[in-house]
Amino acid sequence: MPKTIGSINEKIKNGSSVVVTAQQFTQMAKSKSLEELAEEVDVVTTATFGPMCSSGAVINFGHWEPGIRMEEIELNGVNCYEGLAAVDSYIGATAESRYDCTYGGANVIEDLVTGKDLHLRARGKGTDCYPTKEIDTWINKDTVNEFYLFNPRNGYQNYNAATNSTDSIMYTYMGCLLPHNNNVTYSTSGELSPLLNDPFFRTIGIGTRIFLGGAQGYVVWNGTQFNTMQNRNDKGVPIGSAGTLAVIGDAKQMDTRYLKAAYYYKYGVSMFVGLGVPIPVLDVDMAQHLAISNQEIETEVCDYGRKGHPAILRTNYAQLQSGFLEINGEKVRTAPMASLNRAREIAELLKQWICKGEFFLTEPVAKFPKDSSVKTMTQRQRDTQ
Amino acid sequence: MKKRFTLRFAPNLVNQPLVSKLVRSYDVEINILNGDVSSGKGGMLVVELEGKPDNLKEAEKWLKDIGVVVSPMSKDLIFDSEKCIDCGACTAVCNSGALSLDRDWKLVYDSDKCVVCALCVHACPLKLFTIA
Repeated sequence: MPKTIGSINEKIKNGSSVVVTAQQFTQMAKSKSLEELAEEVDVVTTATFGPMCSSGAVINFGHWEPGIRMEEIELNGVNCYEGLAAVDSYIGATAESRYDCTYGGANVIEDLVTGKDLHLRARGKGTDCYPTKEIDTWINKDTVNEFYLFNPRNGYQNYNAATNSTDSIMYTYMGCLLPHNNNVTYSTSGELSPLLNDPFFRTIGIGTRIFLGGAQGYVVWNGTQFNTMQNRNDKGVPIGSAGTLAVIGDAKQMDTRYLKAAYYYKYGVSMFVGLGVPIPVLDVDMAQHLAISNQEIETEVCDYGRKGHPAILRTNYAQLQSGFLEINGEKVRTAPMASLNRAREIAELLKQWICKGEFFLTEPVAKFPKDSSVKTMTQRQRDTQ
Repeated sequence: MKKRFTLRFAPNLVNQPLVSKLVRSYDVEINILNGDVSSGKGGMLVVELEGKPDNLKEAEKWLKDIGVVVSPMSKDLIFDSEKCIDCGACTAVCNSGALSLDRDWKLVYDSDKCVVCALCVHACPLKLFTIA
């Protein structure tokens, strides 16, 4: 009988599900056939813990008495979005404090998750229904109504590696790139990475329940810059950035072990987001995708020192994770930007949740688009109509 | 015995064969950890000297006698390892190999290898390195 999400959930409920991490599954595939694996394993857990700039949180502060229609909202000096209803706001991870450029929205979110008190200031026009013109107070996650993460783009399916051919060091979102191609940085958890294990989005879609920042969250849309047109290798793996996820989860239940503010020197603030996605082993086709190894996942090394970041060579994650790579005959050090150690921890934790019957799989409510490409912004004239 | 020094010298000393003199006359092995030497400008070398204690002392004396400013490396890298998330970003810039990832992808800091170049201070996204 073919496996379904329903039959797998039935097994999770009665404690008989077989769950392994994506790395364990890849290891198992060396000694067992895909047919055997598809039969034996029910769920494979995937994870990543890397800096994801397109993250942020929705906060509803609760109404002031007498009411205020909040504008110029600041939390610990970090600007929050004011263009929603009276006391709703969104704080983006990369927004910087007006007092300290190394402290930003990601820090505000982390501090709130920790339970700290944060300084809230806002102004209002003073309307008939919202007369208050200024507030200055302290909030924390227990004083506000909703506080949930809503990240428009997380979990890139794949990403280029970076190097720098110029004469001087470059400080980028891919870390410090030494001059003369003296290092290469990469930022994907390879064979453990969620979207590389379901490369055609057969099981991951809108509504998929996931691990997000230490709590249960959901995929709510395809991520921004969702690209299905990226070149793929013969294993179906896109070579470079492709699919992405938009995710939501209750930040009040999260844990800062899996949600960490980061500051990249001369770049700015970002946030490490812990993301774990369970993938059901529905059939041999899924088993084949899940058996993917670092050797089979390729990406391009791009030169961040040249305009347009042109690719200079193609490599794979087995090579990148080995710690060295050859560029123009020279041995060059490679270094990750995302924590593989913590990604493994997340995959293990998600596995435990499922084994203990605390986490159930979901059928996507709707699938991601199949024909999405990424546009660029250009200087153009207004269309005449 | 191993000792680390920063050697600073005036332009007129740039042409002296410091390294070979140290090796030949004092039987001291020299490991250059960092350096900035150019003719006309003088120079700076961060070195690790290895040899018998007496030889090291003699070598240090000779360097001072010829006009090299010899300062023992006093700066230390302080690493707040408890907050480390093992991302590995610092390993991208650590040429001395003091910062590396082990088989479990945990960050390992070997202070013996650190030359206090300070590149990791800016490389760490959690700001966990400071120089003292």
